[in-house]
Amino acid sequence: MFLDWFKKKKSASVARDRLTIAIMSDRDGRNIYPFMDDMKAEIVEVVKRYIGVRGVEIHKEVDGEFEAISIDVLLDKNN
Amino acid sequence: MGIIIAVISGKGGVGKTTAVANLGLGVAMNDKTCVVVDFDIGQRNLDMILGLENRVVYDMVQVMEGEATVKQALIRSKVNNNLQFLAASQSKDKSVLNSDKVYKLVKELKETFDYVILDSPAGIESGFEHTIEFADAAIIVVNPEVSSIRDADRAIGILDSKSQKVKDGEEVAKYLVINRIVANMVESGEMLNSEDILDILSIKLVGKVPEDKGVIDASNQGKPVILDKNSIAGQAYKRISARLCGKKVEMKNVEVSDSSLFTKIKGIFR
Repeated sequence: MFLDWFKKKKSASVARDRLTIAIMSDRDGRNIYPFMDDMKAEIVEVVKRYIGVRGVEIHKEVDGEFEAISIDVLLDKNN
Repeated sequence: MGIIIAVISGKGGVGKTTAVANLGLGVAMNDKTCVVVDFDIGQRNLDMILGLENRVVYDMVQVMEGEATVKQALIRSKVNNNLQFLAASQSKDKSVLNSDKVYKLVKELKETFDYVILDSPAGIESGFEHTIEFADAAIIVVNPEVSSIRDADRAIGILDSKSQKVKDGEEVAKYLVINRIVANMVESGEMLNSEDILDILSIKLVGKVPEDKGVIDASNQGKPVILDKNSIAGQAYKRISARLCGKKVEMKNVEVSDSSLFTKIKGIFR
């Protein structure tokens, strides 16, 4: 009886732990800043003046106290 | 000039349309003028919940296309003069929406009503984005259940990146409604409690709505549950509506069941 009670108590906290992790990783993959799409478009525009561009990817990285954004510009193969 | 509130959820089936109907009527009961707009194009439902399905002549797409005026398309609630309703189109699909048309419509509504409440389609595609685009505030409806909460977080993320207010450097106010709380399950640890949900989503709470059979009964009849004085969900919507109208209403703890209170009191005398 006592053990049963303990088992039951767990499922909500299991849900909480699983959600916390799932949502954290969801958020990582998402555009962190609202201006990301605009910034991407502008970068494409600037680089395109010099060389063909296929796309731009921006990632936010957090390492301890440092935050950085890394910008990858994918070039057009035909360059 | 009124305020535009988008009611969103991420996942479908959490009680979003029910929330829109009840909050719209609740706001109207607080002597504010209110219009509720069904943005779920192709899946019209708010008309049924409000009991106005037989009165729909023109829908919001026809208004946006200039085939009808706002005035012609608005339907007044049978139970409260302050509340009006604008139906979704049932025949068209979501692709007919575009930013300019949506803006023109909601701007006109905002000039006429104190509260403009938009019932967003479920999911996070274009229909959803148009609902949140010009909103001043958003109400996010979740159930205490993992998929609903995870999808709500995604919806909040899009709200934070796509809304015009955020693009203008301002903030969209965000409020959470936790719907379908089963007190004895929270007590036994089988259901997430509101504190955990708020922690995970990190937004403000505007109300907790307990699970209540009366909600289905109300939708069967097309009479929002807020009209049912004995309904615990109806009372919860009354409290939330008052809060939306700027009144201070204490948060009722619907996560404690009456029976457990009774057991505790009984325990004292043992």
